[in-house]
Parts: sequence; structure tokens; C-alpha cells
Amino acid sequence: MDGADSKEQQRSLPKVLVVDDERRIADTLAEILELAGFHVMVAYDGWEALDQAARFHPDYLLSDVLMPQMNGVELAIAIRKIYPAARILLFSGQAGISNILLEGQRQGFEFELVAKPIHPTKLIELLKSDD
Amino acid sequence: MELQVLKSEPDMPLSAPGKSGRTDIDTRLHFAALVNSSNDPILTKDLDGRILSWNRAAARVFGYEENEIVGESILRLIPSDFHQAENELLRRLKVGETIDPYETTWTRKDGADIPVLVTVYHVRNETGDVIGASKIACDLSERKRNDESRFRLAAIVDSADDAIVSKDLNGIISTWNEGAHRMFGYSAEEIIGQSILRIVPDELRHEEDEILRKLRAGERIDHYETTRRKKSGESVDVSVTISPIRNGAGQVTGASKIARDISDRKRIERLLIQSEKLAATGRMAATIAHEINNPLESVMNLIYLARQHSVVEGKVHQYLVTAEEELERVSHIARQTLGYYKDTGSPSEVALHALIENVLAVYNSRLTALGISVDLQFNDLQKIVVSKGEMLQVLSNIIANAIDSMRDGGSLKISTRKVLGSSGDGIQTVIRDSGTGIKQEHLERIFEPFFTTKGDLGTGIGLWVARQLVERRGGQISVASSTEKESSGTTITIFLPLAFPISRLTTEQ
Repeated sequence: MDGADSKEQQRSLPKVLVVDDERRIADTLAEILELAGFHVMVAYDGWEALDQAARFHPDYLLSDVLMPQMNGVELAIAIRKIYPAARILLFSGQAGISNILLEGQRQGFEFELVAKPIHPTKLIELLKSDD
Repeated sequence: MELQVLKSEPDMPLSAPGKSGRTDIDTRLHFAALVNSSNDPILTKDLDGRILSWNRAAARVFGYEENEIVGESILRLIPSDFHQAENELLRRLKVGETIDPYETTWTRKDGADIPVLVTVYHVRNETGDVIGASKIACDLSERKRNDESRFRLAAIVDSADDAIVSKDLNGIISTWNEGAHRMFGYSAEEIIGQSILRIVPDELRHEEDEILRKLRAGERIDHYETTRRKKSGESVDVSVTISPIRNGAGQVTGASKIARDISDRKRIERLLIQSEKLAATGRMAATIAHEINNPLESVMNLIYLARQHSVVEGKVHQYLVTAEEELERVSHIARQTLGYYKDTGSPSEVALHALIENVLAVYNSRLTALGISVDLQFNDLQKIVVSKGEMLQVLSNIIANAIDSMRDGGSLKISTRKVLGSSGDGIQTVIRDSGTGIKQEHLERIFEPFFTTKGDLGTGIGLWVARQLVERRGGQISVASSTEKESSGTTITIFLPLAFPISRLTTEQ
């Protein structure tokens, strides 16, 4: 397989931007999703994620909700505005986040949310489903 | 009654000295003064009923001055209804019959009625012949008023909801109202004369000693909360106020005790404490959820990756598979408890029957495998505004329980219909299984968190979450169950009002 082919192949893979301030989670998820056939980029906060997205044009955004500086919903709203076609999935390990989500709803944005911990197999299924 | 020669010679002036000398005259003067200063009306009359004398109290009570009434008939004072009786009285007087004191009504000068107690004495001359009568007409108006207020008080005491009881200083019950009968189950007849300890639980007997000690010292005990025992043996929570009862000399002779049933309030207090605990638990869960769920996510990912990189048939791979299974158990409980969060989708119009069919589709293979028949009756297909995710969780928790209770097959009946609720119209969903049922003593606890009847298989979270979600939506959830053979099973009824609770639209956080 030469370099051009590999690049070509990478380009055709679905691109996922994984964002979590817990680096272990972001890194392990990146590896898992690579194994599952996604092309993955990682960011550890919202601003970094926006930078990455500008270069990477993700098909998917998988983001934690509770993060310092910019929370997952704010990031998701920004991404939706720039890349309306990107599929957005939020995940969170905490209950007290409904006010953050509600703020998004007030601005007319609703996002899918899954609870941490989510088994990698399920997460992959979720991303691959057409919904 | 006899009174010797008080005024046998009415024409004789009292102030004039008589033949019998100074001492005699003094006696008469003393008698006259006594009669005149008496607080009770005293009058004398002859055998024709003519009034011969009239004291100051008589003037005050009946309104006639002495000069107006002396020489007039006694009938002036007596209502016409009693004239006949008065004539009869005169007849009996003449023949010397003794007349017992009697209560009657006399008329004042202004026409007002005065209740009186009349005591009649014969007046005899020196030879012993009856020549007239003296009457003491004791004014009973005051006493009647006292009687009335006493009757009124008695009626109030008897109609009170509170138990009102009195006892002596040895704790022997002397009065017992209807409220006490209702509260403690003993009737007045069976308990008066008995010790108050009959209603004091054995372990609280020392309280009664302390109460009696305080009472003897004249102290009052206000709103003391304690427990008493009914005739049936049941306990009742009461708030008691105990006051010393004193006699005319100010000595404490007993106590009155007012007991109020505060069982309801106590029950509510216990519920409040419980919900406070729940709220605190919830806050704690939210706080630590982040610290548990994130590492769990990492560990799960790491084990998954390790497994992906291990040799499929190797031991390491097996270990990791097992570790992953164990981790899934932890994750399950963590998600359900700590990570339990509100559904994020906004409420939307949903047909409940469609949700029910969704849930049944998920459980279809289990239903079939266990041989459970499903009977659906959707009598109303009206849509209702709910949070779809929340309602799915409610329905699936309940249906999963139903399936768990029918290990040997059975039938699952689910119906929806529109009903008129007290707080508006709504949709009632009834989910009925023919499973093993829930024991009576468990029934009242099944909505409590961490209460499960499924042993290790249950988390004790499902119905608790279901109730929270239903109540948050403004609805109600209830349960009925029977463990009787042949007819065992559980029925869960959910009522959701069509109107969305206003509080949720404004205070959602």
C-alpha cells in the first residue's frame, strides 16, 4: 500500500473528533475508534476542539459535557453552526448537567446524550447507526 | 320546718320595748336585723296569703318596696300558672303539713321571671297554732347561669376531638370524655376509677411518676409529645398538656389532661425526613458521580483495548473478558444510581400506546421464551406531552419487573384509557401481570430506593426511578398485588394528567 493509497483510504474513513478534558478517556476512545475503522482526532478542551475541527472537518463530534472554559453544549452549538452535517453525540458521567443542556435547548439546539460509562461496543454501534 | 315565734304579733312595732323586758326586745331586734340584712329574700304571710313582712333582699330581687307590697297577696309574685299550686300550699300550711323546699319561678315587679328556691316555715303563735308562714326565696338566677355554662362546658368537652381526662394525684382517672373514648378505645364506664397507667406503655411508666411529681408541685406540662397505648394495644402519638386542678383552698387535688392525636403529623414528619434523606443522597450521588463514572469509562476503555490486543484463545484474553463482565455490573449500578439524569429531549406529544409497543418489542424475545402472553387494550389513542425517554424508562422498568415475576409463564395485560382525574383529565395506564405477586409487608416499601424483592438480581432502583419520573410529570403511580395462589399477580397503575405541570416549565434546572 503506497502513501497515496493510504491517504485516499483515510480520507474515505468517517472522521470523529473526540473531546474530553479527562485525557485518559479521550486517548483510549481515540484508539478504540481507530480500531473500529474511524479516523480520529483528539482535543482536551473546547477551544482546542474548535481549532482541530477547522482543519479536520469532522463527520462526528463526540464530546464530554462538563469541561472547563467551554462546555460540551457550547462546543456542540459552535460545531453545528459551522458544520451542520456533522453528527453530534454528547456523553457525561454526571447528573447535574441538565441546566447546561437546557441552555442549549433555549437557543434551539438539542443533542443526543449518552451516560458514561458506555461500553465501547455500544458506542461504536451508536456511531455507526444511521440515526 | 318549724321556726318558733319569729313574728307572731305583726302589729307590734319591733322597736317598741315589750312586757317581757330588755333581753327579749334585744332578741327581736337582733332577729329583725338578721332578716333585713340577709342576702336572700325573706317574707312572711298570713294564712290568706297576704304578705306581712318583706326584707331588703326581697325588695332588691323582686323590685317592690316594703310599703308597696305589704298587705298585698302573695299571688302578686306568682305567675298565674302557679296560682293553683300556691292555694294548695296554703291549704297544706293550715293543716300543719311540712313543706319541702321547692324550685319555682316568681315574677318581678317589671314582669321578669326569677328562678327561686323557696323554703317555707310555719309561723305559730304561743299556743302552737299555725298563723302564717315565712318564706325564704333564694334567687337562683346566678346558679342557673352557672349551671348553663357548666352544661355548655361539658358539651364542649364531650364534643372535642381531643381526649380530655382528669385524674387524682394517684393517677386514678375521674373523668373521661368522648374524645378519649375515640382516641384510646376505652369507654368512660370501663376506665373511670382505673389507673392512668392503663394507657401508658410499660416502657414509659417512669414518665407518669415524673408527671405526678410535677403536678404535686403545682407545675403545668405543656405540649409534651409522647406515646400512649390504645385498648387494642396499638400505639398512638400524642401531644399532651397537663394542668393541676386545685380545690377552693388552692391545694392541688388532681390534674386535667388534654391529649391530641398527632399520629398524622408524625407520619408526615417521618416522610419529610425520608425525602430529605433522599434529596441529600441525590445531591451526594450527583457530586460523586463524576468521580466514579469517568474512571469507570477509562477502565472500561482500557480493558476493551487490552482485550483487543490479547491473543484470542489465551488466558489473558479470558481474564479480560471476565474483568469486563464484572465491570459491566459496576457500570450498570453506577449508571442507574449515580449517573441517573433527566432525559434531555424536550417533552413532546407522544402516543403512550406507541411507547408501550416500543418497550414490548425490546422484550419480545424474553416474553416469547418464557411463554408469556400479551394482551393489549388501548381504549384511547390520544397523544400526551411527555418526555419520551423518561416515559420509556418508566414503562420498561415496570414491564421488566412484570416479566421477572413470571418465570413460569403467564399473562401480561396492558391497557390505556382516558379518565377524569381530580386534578384534570388524564391517561391511565394499567399494567397487570399474573406473576408471583408482592408480599403485603413489602408492598408499601417497593417505591423506596434500594428496596428489592429480587435479591442479588435487583438493584432496588427501577420503581423508585419510575415514581420519581411519573411524579415529576405531575402524575401518580400506585400498586396492588396479591400472592394468593391461582389469583396472584401485580397491577401497576399510572395516571398522567393531560396538562403538563406548570412548575416544570418554569423551574426546570
